[in-house]
Amino acid sequence: MSRSSGWWLVLPACIIVGGTMLLPTLYTAGLSFFRYSPGGAGTNEWIGLGNYLRLLKDGMFGTTLYNTVLFTVVTIYIELTIGLGLALLLNRMFRGRGLVRLAILFPWALPTALTALMWRWLYNTDFGIINAFLLQVGLVDQPINWLGSVPMAMIAMMSVAIWKTSSFMALILLAGLQSIPGEIYEAAKIDGAAPWGALRYITLPLLLPTLLVSVILRSMDAFRTFELPLNLTGGGPVNSTEVISTYAYQRLFEYVDFGYGSTLIMSQFLILLALQLVYVRFYLGVTRK
Amino acid sequence: MMRMQHQRVLATLVTALCLFLGAAIAQNANVRLVLAISPRELAGTLPGLIDQFEQEHPNIEIEWLQVPGVPGEQYSLYVNQFIANNPTPDVIAADVIWPAAFAANGWISPLDPYLTEGEADEFVPALIEAATYQDQVYAMPFYQNGVHLFYRTDLLEKYGFEPPETWEELIEQARTILAGERNPTLRGYVSMWDSIEGLTMNYLQFLWGAGGSFFDENGELAIDSPESIKALQTMVDMIHEHGVAPESILTYRPDDARTLFQQGRSIFMVVQGFVWPILTADDSLVKDDVAFMRVPYFEGFEDSRNVALGGWLFAMNSNSRHKEEAMELIRFLTSVESQALVAAESGNLPTRAGVDEDPALIAALGEAARGFEIFNRYGNVRPSAETGAHYPEVSQVIQDAVSRALHQRQTPEEALAQAAAEIKRILGQ
Repeated sequence: MSRSSGWWLVLPACIIVGGTMLLPTLYTAGLSFFRYSPGGAGTNEWIGLGNYLRLLKDGMFGTTLYNTVLFTVVTIYIELTIGLGLALLLNRMFRGRGLVRLAILFPWALPTALTALMWRWLYNTDFGIINAFLLQVGLVDQPINWLGSVPMAMIAMMSVAIWKTSSFMALILLAGLQSIPGEIYEAAKIDGAAPWGALRYITLPLLLPTLLVSVILRSMDAFRTFELPLNLTGGGPVNSTEVISTYAYQRLFEYVDFGYGSTLIMSQFLILLALQLVYVRFYLGVTRK
Repeated sequence: MMRMQHQRVLATLVTALCLFLGAAIAQNANVRLVLAISPRELAGTLPGLIDQFEQEHPNIEIEWLQVPGVPGEQYSLYVNQFIANNPTPDVIAADVIWPAAFAANGWISPLDPYLTEGEADEFVPALIEAATYQDQVYAMPFYQNGVHLFYRTDLLEKYGFEPPETWEELIEQARTILAGERNPTLRGYVSMWDSIEGLTMNYLQFLWGAGGSFFDENGELAIDSPESIKALQTMVDMIHEHGVAPESILTYRPDDARTLFQQGRSIFMVVQGFVWPILTADDSLVKDDVAFMRVPYFEGFEDSRNVALGGWLFAMNSNSRHKEEAMELIRFLTSVESQALVAAESGNLPTRAGVDEDPALIAALGEAARGFEIFNRYGNVRPSAETGAHYPEVSQVIQDAVSRALHQRQTPEEALAQAAAEIKRILGQ
């Protein structure tokens, strides 16, 4: 096969990636320097860094950035802990393991929007099953306003994310666990290592690359979370669950403010990019050791 | 050799393309209109109407684009189509708060060139006002609905109360009944106070009912007026002072409130009229104990136009290639006959002045027909025409401010002052 035919073969992939990812990203980056609103009433005017200056002064951006970071950090930390526990459990041999693995993946397989709507019902203050249960067993004497009070709504939203994604973490970590050869544990046992020591000195270090990959994947996802707040809380109450994605969506498609909306998206993109660079450096450091 | 093959492939492709285009053009001898409207609230009347229109206009074919029932999702969908300058959908059903925003962006056509003299005057004036932007009419009203106060006749009777005309009476009655019933699952008042468009409607009803208005007679923003503060303070007090509205009302959308009321767990409810057929259906726990009336006003403001109107109108895509035909379709769908048919099946009220006097229609609508009188006398529209393209953002500012006050993050005075400043900035005043 000649050299040029190779290029022809990758051309479709290049066109698709370039057309659906690279060009829109560059276009969005370009838009972020304009005061731009499509339509007759819209303006289209180059304002340089004007939108970025506006970003720094926009209290709502600060709020959404804080919410997004808080959501990302807390959910990943807990998901990682639960996911690791699940993975260790699933790595053992027991009857019905296949079934349990399947069941654990169920929340992750559900579409996020559907999950959010389902939990909206469960959390409902007056006819949700969670409050009904708590009142029945006498744990509370007044229904809890899960989605209508601060900071309970954020906690409720994080819980749904954790419920949904811990299994995904477990799955990735399980793959990592299975790649650790059993002989190492046997050798450790012969040398008299306690189970806790084996976890601390064998499992965790060898699992570190996998842990990092799962953190990278999940933090990108969590940082861009959109359907969950949109359908569960709509960003409320008093913007306590509004994240960058929902704020940008509102700017772009409700206010048709493409310039500033693009700026919000770009800031999200740049933060994620920086985060990934840090991760990759860290990852390379770990794997080269 | 290689090159020869390439040319042959190219020639085949070009031939195929020509054949395809030829076929497409041949089909287009008929005009094909795309009509975008959600099946929700139409009770299955649309296919019949489309059939009838196609029979009367053999050269026009209608494609029904079924859009999602949630207004916000429809809005995003249309904005996407308009930004892309798509010629379809040709005709869209627009919520009453959209025409001015769409018109300001140049996305929908003014209908004046197609309307006959006085044609717009045949409709309910408040809805035409909402469809007017810079003295041009951009949409024709299809049906109207508005907000009602629903109440439990059995509970009011038990305590010897007349249905409440004013907010003061409503709060007093709710407190008395709640204290007397001692039922921990019973609520006094529910409505849609989540941070959605319904919250803007609710705030406006309190504002109008207190004798206030969004813009004063000079066109100046008036939401930081004493009337406005009193309105919002009353909403706050209903939750935190009188305890007649539960704190969960802050998460309630219309259907959440309806569910609670239908379970017999609330004395009063303020939502749109579309819940009436559901509340009176056979499986409703309150079907024999529910009635509706005009939304309350504050003592001394009996004449205020305090009832928030909603409704759907037809507008025309400004990029449509078949505007004459599109206008025919709009005219057909908003005709007396079409509106009467839709009203009889769905309970949505017609928008043509005079239709409300048709005895057959009144009989078909039953109790729901009382809405005509309430809306005609007390109906008011949201300030979407005045704020044009900025209405969605203005409404969001109102929702945020009202939410901050209801969550006691700010006093009503602080919240409204902040909202007024933000809205002035948005409107460039």
